[in-house]
Amino acid sequence: MSEEKKKHKKRRTATQAAASIGPMVKEFIAGTIRAKEEARQKIAFTFIVCHHEEILAALDVLPLWTENFAGICGAIRDAERFLQRAESLGLSRSLCTYALCGIGFDQWREEIGEMPPNPPWGGQVKPDFMVSTGQILCDPRAKWYQASQLYMPDVPIYNIDMPYPLFDPKRDHRDVWGYYHKYIVKELRGFVKFVEEQTGNKMDYDRLTELVDLSDRTWNLIDETYKLRASVPSVMGTGDAMNTMVPMCFRMASQEAYDFFFNLKKELEEKIAKKEGEVEDEKYRLMWGGGLPSWFALGDFNYFNSKGAVFPVETTYRMVAPLNEMDLPETKDPIERLAWKWLGYWTFWYDKARKRPGSEPDVERLINWIEEYKIDGIVMHEAFSCRTWHVGLIWQLNQLAKIYKPIPVLTLGKGGEKTVENRELPSLILESDIIDISTYSEVDTRNRIDAFIETLESVRQSKAV
Amino acid sequence: MTKAVILDNEIIASVIGPTGAEQRRLANNVMEKALKEAGIPFEAITYIVSTGYGRINVPFADKQVTEISCHAKGIVSLFPDARTIIDIGGQDSKGIKIDKDGRPTDFVMNDKCAAGSGRFLEVIADTLEIDLEKMGEISLTSKNPASISNLCTIWAQQEVVARLSEGVPVNDLVAGVHESLANRVSRMVRRLNIEREIVLTGGGAKNIGLVKALSNYMDYPILVPPEPLITGALGAALMGKAITEKAKTQGIQLDTKERSLQVVEIL
Repeated sequence: MSEEKKKHKKRRTATQAAASIGPMVKEFIAGTIRAKEEARQKIAFTFIVCHHEEILAALDVLPLWTENFAGICGAIRDAERFLQRAESLGLSRSLCTYALCGIGFDQWREEIGEMPPNPPWGGQVKPDFMVSTGQILCDPRAKWYQASQLYMPDVPIYNIDMPYPLFDPKRDHRDVWGYYHKYIVKELRGFVKFVEEQTGNKMDYDRLTELVDLSDRTWNLIDETYKLRASVPSVMGTGDAMNTMVPMCFRMASQEAYDFFFNLKKELEEKIAKKEGEVEDEKYRLMWGGGLPSWFALGDFNYFNSKGAVFPVETTYRMVAPLNEMDLPETKDPIERLAWKWLGYWTFWYDKARKRPGSEPDVERLINWIEEYKIDGIVMHEAFSCRTWHVGLIWQLNQLAKIYKPIPVLTLGKGGEKTVENRELPSLILESDIIDISTYSEVDTRNRIDAFIETLESVRQSKAV
Repeated sequence: MTKAVILDNEIIASVIGPTGAEQRRLANNVMEKALKEAGIPFEAITYIVSTGYGRINVPFADKQVTEISCHAKGIVSLFPDARTIIDIGGQDSKGIKIDKDGRPTDFVMNDKCAAGSGRFLEVIADTLEIDLEKMGEISLTSKNPASISNLCTIWAQQEVVARLSEGVPVNDLVAGVHESLANRVSRMVRRLNIEREIVLTGGGAKNIGLVKALSNYMDYPILVPPEPLITGALGAALMGKAITEKAKTQGIQLDTKERSLQVVEIL
């Protein structure tokens, strides 16, 4: 065990629910190992945000979320040896480090015919098939498993293609989304057929309908739960949300996920009633405005907390939107419903963005949540190996500064006259990676956080009342 | 560099010393020199604010404030119309937006890449065997700045050596290096919505070639303080003074550290 690992302290959570996630993930990983040993369920490598959990569950397939496993390796500071192995296979370190970690692990396991030594949380088993997906700008979601297949040539891949109409300020996306819907439905039906072939099971569409309904209810419940975080003081921060994303992204279409958020909602309501904030003296309310976190440095959220800063909202991993606020066409077909939910989620902010000149859906979401959650500043993370998130972060901040200035500041003109001008929100960009710890410096990161806190304080002092 | 500024109604001492790993000892050294220059005993100092990367290693400091806030305060005392500060130092570079009271309202920082900091110039000066302080003047004689394309300081260093062996004159190389650094820093600072006036501070501001290159990239003449190395320390001293005056007005006794310059043993 490296010195780095020994010294690393666990992050403190604000909610009981978030604290329960570690054991949940451990049990999930252990479950995949047991299922493999007992050969009782087929196991599929796959990615989050594919809207296919219901199909996998209905056909009794156990998904193994490879991004999650890489994140675990990063969080316990044990990714480096797998990254190095991938590098020695000829893969560049500048590629997605989740993919590198996963490929390094899988190649190692396949080469020695057993789990690599001291595998994190028991390790990642060999799958029966892999389900990739090429959308949301993330090329590893299509290329990762192709590279893994070099070391597991007998494991087939199914790629689900799920596009959505791009934002056009001059056109209603509903004019064209029917075409997208037809295409996605076809992709998902092809996926059902593929999984049926792999498992020998036949789809039970009544069961699938039940699971889709359960997910629908879970979506709305998560939305209601997360909206409670708008309360002052903040009862749950982004640090915790990086835990509670687990049932949202990895356990959807399960009663366990529904129950988890039911309990979390109850816990948050109790905290609100008692005015029990995440920190004792809340001074600054921040939004995690994008970028995956550094899984090895989640303790930085505690550092923010120690300065009176809280994160009541984040755009990262808010992978659901309120279905009751979407105008989705009615259907009794669960596959069609999954496709409409996909389109509804990705176009959720389009109407609002069209109404604000210069806005875009991602920027509109920032603006809405700045107001809803009473935000004083935005923090983003540029993870060097994640192009998916990098692409728009700075641009989003620039657009935001151009079209939205929410801070009224009283200024004195040269003639002594008082005027109010509106300034943009301060922002902080952290630079590191999702799991590659060699990119991280705690001293530099905390120096930036200190400077940001001082900036927030100075903005607070100059705010006009 | 380690710096100290002692302030009364005006600067009564300012000292610039070397920097290094033994930050506690260096802080003691510059303070000792500053006290000597001011001709006052240590007990006469009412409040001490430390800043910069080593701010937590100043044993006698009463408060620690980041260099972002201190530069802001220091610069606005020298240039009341300043609204954007660019700081190019040996360890990092920064862009800071400030309001008229010298409060930072936003900032960007590069502490990841040496090629975007003053360290880049130090490495190239070493490579070309020229004096760091003379780089600015040398570059001004260039009519055809060389293009330095490498993004990494170490590779840029090798590129400079290769271009030198191709016969590219030193002044063109140095001008090219300034262009490269100015280009990189200006791109970072443009993330802020830049407002005028723009002031350059830190060691980079002592380099007239870099000031010129940066002014070109920002499309506007950049102002430079008379002593760019001490603006952060000046800001820290101004903050200390403000804290003392506020406490006096409110009749509050300030809690301060013991004023002693002990020899610090380095383990």
